[in-house]
Amino acid sequence: MNNALDIRNLTKDYGDFRLDDVSFSLPPGTIMGLIGPNGAGKTTVIKLILNLLRRDGGEVKVFGLDNRQEEAAVKGRIGFVHDAPCFYERLRLTTIKATVAPFYRDWDEPLFRKLLAEFDLPPRKTLARLSRGMKMKFALALALSHRADLIILDEPTSGLDPVFRHELLGRLSGLIQNERTSVLFSTHITSDLERVADFITFLHEGRLVFSSPKDDILDRWAVVKAGRDLLTDENRRFFRGVREREFGFEGLTSDAAAARRRFGDMAVIEKAALEDIMFYISRGAKNA
Amino acid sequence: MRNLILKDLILNKKFLIGIGLFYVPYMAYFGSRINNPRLAIAIGAFLTALAPLMTITREEKFKAAQLSCSLPATRKQIVQARYVLGWLTMTGLYALIAPAMVLFPGSKLSWMSVAGGKAVLTALAFLTLFFGALMPLMIRFGLVGMFSFLIGMQLLGIILMVLRTQGISLINIKGFIAGIRNALLSLNESLGAPGYFVALLAVLILVNLASLTLSVALFRRKDL
Repeated sequence: MNNALDIRNLTKDYGDFRLDDVSFSLPPGTIMGLIGPNGAGKTTVIKLILNLLRRDGGEVKVFGLDNRQEEAAVKGRIGFVHDAPCFYERLRLTTIKATVAPFYRDWDEPLFRKLLAEFDLPPRKTLARLSRGMKMKFALALALSHRADLIILDEPTSGLDPVFRHELLGRLSGLIQNERTSVLFSTHITSDLERVADFITFLHEGRLVFSSPKDDILDRWAVVKAGRDLLTDENRRFFRGVREREFGFEGLTSDAAAARRRFGDMAVIEKAALEDIMFYISRGAKNA
Repeated sequence: MRNLILKDLILNKKFLIGIGLFYVPYMAYFGSRINNPRLAIAIGAFLTALAPLMTITREEKFKAAQLSCSLPATRKQIVQARYVLGWLTMTGLYALIAPAMVLFPGSKLSWMSVAGGKAVLTALAFLTLFFGALMPLMIRFGLVGMFSFLIGMQLLGIILMVLRTQGISLINIKGFIAGIRNALLSLNESLGAPGYFVALLAVLILVNLASLTLSVALFRRKDL
């Protein structure tokens, strides 16, 4: 069975920013979180998948189909939510739906109505009169109503209240239960991913840091806390990122077992959260 | 294609109705004040060609091109749909403007002068000229690009005229304008001949196809 998404050596050069040689795969029936600080290239990757940007190199395959050569077929199987809603603001939700729905063979009108009701979206209101969170909900309702095989969400939880965020994550988990639907979503809110993601892809300054199963990452990566006397040059090189404090330091490693062997009882070694990984790697790059 | 045309039509319905409500009385009045049908056709064609171009500026304003290009359609299909809708809009508007110019009280224009075969072909030629030239610019550079081009052309004309008053003549402006006038006059006279009629129609179709091909190529290269 083809992967939902196969990205190989994807490159895009803006001049002042370069997405460089990014490769990762998303198996069917899984959720992948795309993380990274601002400007890491998350939106660029999503736009390249949707062919909104012209790639300079590499390939993107969706269910084994090239996203440029089979553009219409590929997009027919994708449900998307962009980071900023890109609908005509002065139109009613039902009118916007009327422009989008005919493009999809599997459009499910009862499901769309049900989602509008569940999300408390008034169908006859214009988009301009909705808050950012409500606009995001509307984009989600459109994305979920044509039974897409791949849902791509760019920062879907930003602007959403915690209650709805929780509901959304539950819904995404529910979607993949058929083992056919896959979800790729970028976010800054890494705690969301720890709850639902199967895979994490981390981008930093346009490069891929890792793309691995979440559980592997959380098992392998660790934060080491120890006194400053242990922060020798050799130990510093061992870490992917270091934060020095008055009486000690904290360092991020991608090899928890090696850290245990190296520091033994002299340090406290804790599992790294995704936010720790993002923080230390971004900080490490700044200090380099 | 059908879905794309319907989408653009729904999204721009109110705008197009508004444009129609403004253009028809305006052109009816304008037509009644002059007795030069070719000028009426040229101005009418220019205004009419602007209407479909303005729908793209609305898409730009709402950044809705991202939406169009995320839907299951190729960029080629999106541009093709815009050309089809553009021509539907322009012919629809011209079909409203032409009788309005004739029927407006005090109008000196006859039916044949704005709605006869020769007049319609002239209108098509002007529409092709404006729409075919401006559409690729609009698609690649947006409203700013289109107006920059139009203003640039005006500035170029002004500079050439100023240079001429200073005794510097890069091109013969009088001769250039006379050439255009003569070309239009001979075109008008030759339109009676069926062969010429067919040949001109073929040229207009080719120009539109060339414009469409260029627009598709430009839109494919555009990052959204």
